[in-house]
Parts: sequence; structure tokens; C-alpha cells
Amino acid sequence: MREEFYKTLSSPIWWGALVIAAIMPFVLSSYYVHILTLALVYVALASSWNIVGGMAGQISLAHSLFIGIGSMFSAALLLKLGINMWFGLVISALISGILGAVIAWIDFRFQLGHLSFVLITLAFAEMGSIVVEGWDFLGGASGLLLPKDTGNFLAFQFGGGHGAFWMMLGLAAICVLVNVAILNSPLGYYLRTIRDNEKAAQAIGVNILRYKITAMVISAMLASVVGTAYVRYLTFADPYLLISPVITIEIVLFATVGGLGRAYGPALGALLLVPLGEILRGKLGSTLPGLHYFIYGIVVISVILVTPRGLLPLFERLWARWRGPAVAGKP
Amino acid sequence: MTMTRRTFGLGASAVLAGPIAAPFIRGAGAAEPAIRIGMVNSMSGGLAAYAQEGQPAFEYIIKKINAEGGIKSKGGAKIELVLADDTSQPARTAAEARRLITEEKVQLLTGTILSAQMLALTPVVDEAKIPTLSVWAGGSQSNYMFTLGYPYDRGYAQTMHDFVISLRDDFKFPIKTAVMAYSNYEAGQQSNKFLVEKLKASGIQIIGEAALDIRAQDQTAAMVRIRSLKPDVVVGLVTPRDGILLHQARYNLNYHGSIFCGGTGGYSDLSLWKDLGPEIGKAVLTRNLFGMTGFSAGAKIESMQKIVTELHDVAKLEKIGQGAVQYAQAARVLQQVLENAKSLQSDALLEALKNVNIPAGDPNLYIAKPKGLQFAEDRLLKDGSAMFIQWTPEQAQQVVFPKEFAQVPPRPKS
Repeated sequence: MREEFYKTLSSPIWWGALVIAAIMPFVLSSYYVHILTLALVYVALASSWNIVGGMAGQISLAHSLFIGIGSMFSAALLLKLGINMWFGLVISALISGILGAVIAWIDFRFQLGHLSFVLITLAFAEMGSIVVEGWDFLGGASGLLLPKDTGNFLAFQFGGGHGAFWMMLGLAAICVLVNVAILNSPLGYYLRTIRDNEKAAQAIGVNILRYKITAMVISAMLASVVGTAYVRYLTFADPYLLISPVITIEIVLFATVGGLGRAYGPALGALLLVPLGEILRGKLGSTLPGLHYFIYGIVVISVILVTPRGLLPLFERLWARWRGPAVAGKP
Repeated sequence: MTMTRRTFGLGASAVLAGPIAAPFIRGAGAAEPAIRIGMVNSMSGGLAAYAQEGQPAFEYIIKKINAEGGIKSKGGAKIELVLADDTSQPARTAAEARRLITEEKVQLLTGTILSAQMLALTPVVDEAKIPTLSVWAGGSQSNYMFTLGYPYDRGYAQTMHDFVISLRDDFKFPIKTAVMAYSNYEAGQQSNKFLVEKLKASGIQIIGEAALDIRAQDQTAAMVRIRSLKPDVVVGLVTPRDGILLHQARYNLNYHGSIFCGGTGGYSDLSLWKDLGPEIGKAVLTRNLFGMTGFSAGAKIESMQKIVTELHDVAKLEKIGQGAVQYAQAARVLQQVLENAKSLQSDALLEALKNVNIPAGDPNLYIAKPKGLQFAEDRLLKDGSAMFIQWTPEQAQQVVFPKEFAQVPPRPKS
């Protein structure tokens, strides 16, 4: 694990990509910086979901709950109790981790099948949504408006546009690195074994409960942290966005289109589809309402039909084909 | 011919490329000095009904202004609309506004902008210092945001309160107790909070709540609760969808023990008859029910009746309800702002927005405002009041409140 992880950490391509990304706010208008920031939010979220959904093969729809806790709860702690958002971030992440562990335990204890697991996690997400919309402390259906972001780092403020972009870039990078680390560690192997054949994994002595809980806790805590950062960027904690199952479906879509279970797949999916969706809406939204959804749908269906395992494996195949003749010494 | 993944991919790419290229192709060579107004509407998604009805009316008024010589104080400059769709999602309202400001260089913003969208938009308009006129928000958190929407307090809550008290005091309806039945979403919760306080202060006893789950497929449980409490009046802000389900449940339970008063769409929208059907509509809408609305074709307001006729006969719009009239009003407000602003700079436009004044009786005042249209210090309408109507078996509305616009007195309880 360590060798592969450190190889990534010392890769000039990795650092080059980060540096190029980091200078984008100086090159692009605030609209395109916003699109990139949004893409990075989804890179982070899709990567955190990938630990459970991609590597362990557990299609969790509960992630909106973790994002909602990270966003709505930390915002409420700040606005209603005056608790600094850094502490709010930690408290929310801990609560999300505990809830994630409970869900994983329920899955193990009751030997839920794939469909049952999906439904249970959806039920948790719906319960969270109902609680938020009905509880004044969390803003109810009206949501919560955070104070203006003046750039006070100690108060979890990053100065708006550019600062928020760099913060999300860092967070997205951490989430992808966590994926790289897990994928090449014993935990990653155990998770993939569980995904491919849970009974066989159990038979060879893999501690199913332990690794399922570990994966879910890491995933839930990361999603919660991203939720806190996202709401700070948005300023407005909107329950219909942040704790809606729709956000989970978007995450699953990006991860699937990019390449499920791969360290960089979900990031690739989000980096392609989020800007595509935003730009399509910007260009076509006023032409014919809903047309952008239609075209977006065609793109997603096309990708899934052309490369069912995601775009990353396709790009890898193309890369190998392109490099192949050179390796073989062709002129 | 066999379709392979490759040919499918090529075909899909072609389908994608055409519409993306189209706006650029159309935009080529279409440059002309104009005042650019960005309009972020919810043309798709759950709130699309507002803008789909309103945008054509808004565009009609803008075209009319341009045809009549544009903005005269600015040398006859024409207004150019730059449209965007936020798909009814507040985060996207902010994103589209950012695009219109930075990419399209608009000088003013307007659009559906309901309250949640207003909150999401606040940091963007604050950062860009762009004067913005919301058609429907119930509040404002930015110095640059003004709204034509009904304030929760002195709009929705005050009007519903005043009507209930008028029923009790002026028309001698026996009203001592109330159940709050409201759609459990942002505007419903907010207006309910103020309404409860006002009703209690006026001596009405609140004996229960029936918050309507906006995702429910049936409101029988809420109606059973109302029936069990048997209040004198049931009051609250209800969406059209919840209203339909509530009235259906009332019909099924054959409950007529209370007076139902509420706003706006769930009690007053013309589509209620279509969705409920004439039999249910006649049984529940015309009996012991009054609806709050900002627009009614029968109201004794000459300018409102004129704009309805014009939108129907000249603009050839089919659906003319509150949405259309509200958007038409927004266009007239922006016209006055542009005419009165000393320049097209942000500060001058903001100053002109603060000083908007369309007095009662003005031909450009389309909505029912006995005291005219001005903005208060909080950037909401000074006069946030609305009307109450009752339905007739012919599916028409009769204004019953306030007395300035009333056609008939409220129908007695039966």
C-alpha cells in the first residue's frame, strides 16, 4: 500500500495537475471558477462514496444524510449555539461516522441483500430529510443563511470564490488520495473480496463486519466534512439540496460514469459531467426548458452503452493501444 | 444496418453538438447597444408553473416598452432580456446569476426568485452589487434585492388575519377557534408563525395544527384531524397540489363544519377546478371556502382588468392568472427604475429601485394595492396586502375582501 501511495504522492503528474488547477481562479471568470468549485465538491463526494459503493459494492443511498449532517447541523450549531464551524465540522463528522457504523452493523446483523441495503439506506436518508425539514433548530424547510464569508480562516471562512475553490481543491485531493491509499491497502483488498463474493470472503476469514464498518465510517465522515465545506461555500444551507436523495443519485451517477471502484474513476466522472451539465444549462436553459436535461441524459446513456465499466477503463484501453506500438518498437 | 457502440457514440455526439452550437450561431452579428436585464426563471423543475405563466407576460411588456420608444430618459435605449433557467434549484439560481453577471454583463437581475432562491442568490448579488428584483420572494437578505412577493408577515399573515377578523367582526361569522392547516414548506411555515401570533392577539384560540406534508399523496389524515377538532376556521398558506389533496379529502369525508380560509394557489388557483373536476369543485370550493389571491379578473381595479384583456387579446396568452399579472407588474417596475435612474451604474439603479412609486389608480399598477406600489426599508412591498375571493358554481371568482375591491359580501356559512 505504502509503496503505491507514496508513488502517487511523489508523482510529478499529480502535483502538476494540482498546480495547474490551483492557478485556474487567476485565469477564469468567477462563473467558470464556480463551475470548477462545484465539480470539485462532487469529486470529493463521489470519491468518498466510492469507498462504500465502488470498493465494497454496497450501493448506499444514505450519503445525503451524512452530507446533510455535515452541512445543516454544523450551520445550525454556528447560528443557534455560536459553535465555531471547525468544531461543527468535527462534531458532524463524528455523528456521521457513528450513524454510518450503525447502518453497516444493521446490514451485517440482518444479512441484508443488495436491494434491501439500498432500501434501508434510502429510508435513513428520507428520515434525515424529514427531521431537517420539520425541526426549527436545523432551519426547517426554510434552511439557514450563514454569515457572509469574510475570509476569517479561524471561523471556517475562506474568502468566497478563490478561497473556496482552493479549499475544495484540497479536500477533493484528500478524498482521492484516501481512495488511492485504501485501494492499495489490505483494507482495499478485503473490501473488493467482500464485493465480489461475501460468503467466500467470510469463509477465508475476512472479518466482514469490521471492514464494512470501517469503509462506511470513513466514507460517511468524509462526506460529512465535504458537506460542511460545501455549505460554507454556498452560504445558504438549503435542505432541499443538501439532504435530498437527489444529491446521492448524482454522486452515484458520476462514480458510475467515471469508473466504479477505481481511485480516479469517480473524480473523472464528476470533472466531466458537472461542467457539462452546468454549461449545457447555461447555453440551452433559455432556449427550450428541459432540453439540457435531455442532452445530458443522452450523453450519460451513450457513455454507459459505449463503455459500461466507466470512462476511466476506456481511457486506459485507449492509452495502452496508443502506447502499444511504441513499446513494440514500431516506427 | 447494425448499430455498434461506435456509431451510437458518433450519433449521440452529433445530437449534442447541434444545440450547443446554436446559440453561438444565432448570437453572431446580433450586437446592438441595449440595456441588458438578466432574467433567472424556474422554467423547468418543480416551480416551473410560476415562470411558464409569467415569462410570456413579462416579455410582452418589455417588447411593448421597446416598441413605444424604449427607455426615453436613456435616449430611447432598448431593453434586451437575457434568459436563464435555474431548474427550480436555489443553488443553480446563484450559478445562473453569476453567469449572467460575469459572462453576459447584465445590468439588472430579475426572475421568479422564490424565497429559498433569494437566500442562495444573496451572496452573489452582494458580491457583484447588482440590483435585483424578485417577482416572488417573501423576504430580502441583501441590500441589492427587492421583491414584489408577499411578505410573510405583513403580506400573507396580515391579509389572512384581517380577513378572518373581518368575517368575525363585520359579517358576524361565529369564529372563536382555529386550526392552522398549511403546506409544510418554507413559505407555509414562515407565514404560519406570524399568523398564529396575530390570531392569538385578536382573541382567536388556536386549537391545533395540521401541517400538510408536501410529498404526501393524500391529505385524508390531515382532514380527519381537522374534523376531529372541528374548529370554526381552518387557515393557512397551501400550495396548489396540497390544496387539491386537501379539498379531495374534504369531499370524501363530506366535512363542512368549518370555514376554510387560505392562500394562495391551494385555494384560489384556476387550475383547482380542472384537477378536482366540476363535481368535487362545486361541492367544496363553493361552500364555506375563501381564497387569498393577488389577482382576480373580477376585482374592481380598472388597470388590472385592462392588462388581463390586453394579455389575452393582444399578446394572445392563454393562461392569465396571478403569475402573468405579477410578472407584467415586474416589467413595469423595471421600466420605471430605468427611466428614473440617473445612469445605468449599479448605485443609480439601486437608488431608483428604492424610490419606485406606482400610485393607486396608475394605469401601470396591475396588482391589487390600495396604497400603491412602493418598497419599504426592508426592500419588501410597503403594502403587502392581497384580496380574498369566493368561488361560484360557474367556476368564477368574486372578490369579497378588502372592501375597496369587493364585488359581493362573503357567502354565509352553510
